[in-house]
Amino acid sequence: MKLRQGSRGAAALAVVVVAAAAGCSTKAPESSGGGGGGDAADVQTDVGVEGETIRLGVLTDLTGVFAALGKDITNANTLFWEENQVCDTYTVELDVQDTGYVPQQGVQLYSGMKDSILAMQQTIGSPINTALAPEYEADQIVNFPSAWSKTLTEIPGTGVVGATYDVEIANGYDYLFQEGLLAEGDTVGHIYFEGEYGANGLAGTQAVAEEMDLEVIEAQIKATDQDMSAQITQFAAAGVDLIALTVAPGQTASVATVAEAQGLDVPILGSNPVFAPGLLQGPAANWLKSHLYVASPVSSFDAHPELLEQYKEAYPEATVSLGVVVGFGMSELMKQVLDAACENGDLTRQGVVDAFDQLEEVDTGGLVVPIRGFELGQSPSLESFVLQPADVEGGATVAAEAFEGQFAEKIAG
Amino acid sequence: MTQFLSLLLNGISLGAIYALIALGFVVIFKASEVVSFTHGSLLLLGAYSIARLSEPLGFYLAVVVGVAITAFAAFLIERLIINRLRGAPVISLAIVTIGVDIILLTELIRRIGSDILNVPHPWGGGSVRIGDVGISENRLIATLVAGVLIALFFLAFKFSNWGVAMRASAEDGETAALMGIRLGRVSVLAWVIAGVLAGVAALFLVGSPTPGVSPTAYSVALRAFPAAILGGLDSTGGALVGGLLIGLAESFAAGYQDQLLFLGRGFGDVVPYIVMIAVLLFRPSGLFGTRELTRV
Repeated sequence: MKLRQGSRGAAALAVVVVAAAAGCSTKAPESSGGGGGGDAADVQTDVGVEGETIRLGVLTDLTGVFAALGKDITNANTLFWEENQVCDTYTVELDVQDTGYVPQQGVQLYSGMKDSILAMQQTIGSPINTALAPEYEADQIVNFPSAWSKTLTEIPGTGVVGATYDVEIANGYDYLFQEGLLAEGDTVGHIYFEGEYGANGLAGTQAVAEEMDLEVIEAQIKATDQDMSAQITQFAAAGVDLIALTVAPGQTASVATVAEAQGLDVPILGSNPVFAPGLLQGPAANWLKSHLYVASPVSSFDAHPELLEQYKEAYPEATVSLGVVVGFGMSELMKQVLDAACENGDLTRQGVVDAFDQLEEVDTGGLVVPIRGFELGQSPSLESFVLQPADVEGGATVAAEAFEGQFAEKIAG
Repeated sequence: MTQFLSLLLNGISLGAIYALIALGFVVIFKASEVVSFTHGSLLLLGAYSIARLSEPLGFYLAVVVGVAITAFAAFLIERLIINRLRGAPVISLAIVTIGVDIILLTELIRRIGSDILNVPHPWGGGSVRIGDVGISENRLIATLVAGVLIALFFLAFKFSNWGVAMRASAEDGETAALMGIRLGRVSVLAWVIAGVLAGVAALFLVGSPTPGVSPTAYSVALRAFPAAILGGLDSTGGALVGGLLIGLAESFAAGYQDQLLFLGRGFGDVVPYIVMIAVLLFRPSGLFGTRELTRV
């Protein structure tokens, strides 16, 4: 970089870069105009803050298997930061990179951006989050993943946006017990993916089964298995009273069509990733609308019509999923972390991690379930919404507002 | 008993679809001695084309055009690549088909993204009940159509000029060429037929009880591979038997997962390969494959 006399911006950047390279923090240069309530001069900064601009990283999926979800979440992140500032002073710029859902790609892209960002607004997918965990920890990065596995809560600085899968599905069970759709001593068939996501969902079922004396029939599948005929046949033969799912939307559709074909007329309970609005265009639509209950960390658009309107105005072409609510929710959480850090006068990475650790009882205005705080190895929330598919924008309506089920606390630890 | 019959019916219908795909492998292998790894992406191309074209063209026309597109893609692969590399070691040709497969697959996955595209089958998600046993209409129709197509294929293989030419060129390519059989034409026709079979298999594969077109439909072609191998890679009848065997084994292994728990969870996924290895241990050329005789 060349320094030109009188070039205040370049000089400021140089100070920041040198400070970052030296591994210490410094004070940001005095702001040169604009600015709202906060006073940038009193705030310590190091990496990723330049003048009154904060840079956050986004590792999302725009071309891989989770492209539609990635687009929705990222668009919502972008829209949120176009309209919000950190302590009324700092505007936020996002460095959006596409991993294509490939962990190796994610690791490379992160190494390219890590010297210019303060924190990670979003990292999509458990495998990529897990791959980057050691680096995030070493670099003191606060990160919000779009995955809810319990293992992610063990990464310092990583904030799972809601209850982990085990707590989430346990809340779903609680709802079904309350509604009289499931009773003590019943039989449950649980289809789950191999790997952390499925195992974590199944752990929730097992914990509830122990409490309520349920018999559990487990059926493990691979993410590539699309035909659930054999599993549902097995469940029908065993006379299950409920089908539980910790899978992807494709398998949910298959479960519904096979259950309908075999006359297995029982409710279906799913972890939040089991549903996508696209399922309502397929042959399983009616069965799903009357049988599927999804435990979810986010509400539907019923409660946030303004969000939907804002989103559709900015992205008229997009088919809207609840990923938009997740995106707004995680941006709101990041804003609260950065606001707190800014108020503490410390927008260094260490300062942001400290603010993140101190966060308690976070309310995102009903976007995401109330967060009790981010403690290592613990579910950040005990609450979940219960959604049901319906012919509305986003594909689902709220069957139960955010609540803490009777099993949540015991499972969450 | 109901469970057994349900799994049996499910296995047979799944096996019929596998047989269609496996038959494609076998035809290509017989005509050009190439083990084609392009089938996964051809299958996905067929499913994707039908799903995308259903809206503007209507279902039936979309099926015709979709299957034609798949066949045309197979035609192009043969003409532009396989035909020009004639004489290259067969192992190189097999690797080339892996390359083509990856290119086509990457583009299709990019286009499909995380959407699940629905093919609006007129029979939808409906099902037929035979006593206590239910089967989706889609699978039932698939079994019938596969049966008819396979029968037609066998007739053509036995009696048509192309069938005779193909059997002759598979038996002894050089002599067949000397007798005036155009090997290039036999080969390209084999690829087109394999494309058509993949397109038809795709049509049923993405219907009830599977959810629609998603990139994972690709993996089904990989399961048809052991079907073709265990039947004997150069035996059309073997492809049929192999397909049914794999379909049944998979269905039973998944349905009786609890009883097979001592073998570990997820056993159903490895069953096709275990059956294949078991068969090959006893019959190295597959159930109906031609035994290689080497004079020493």
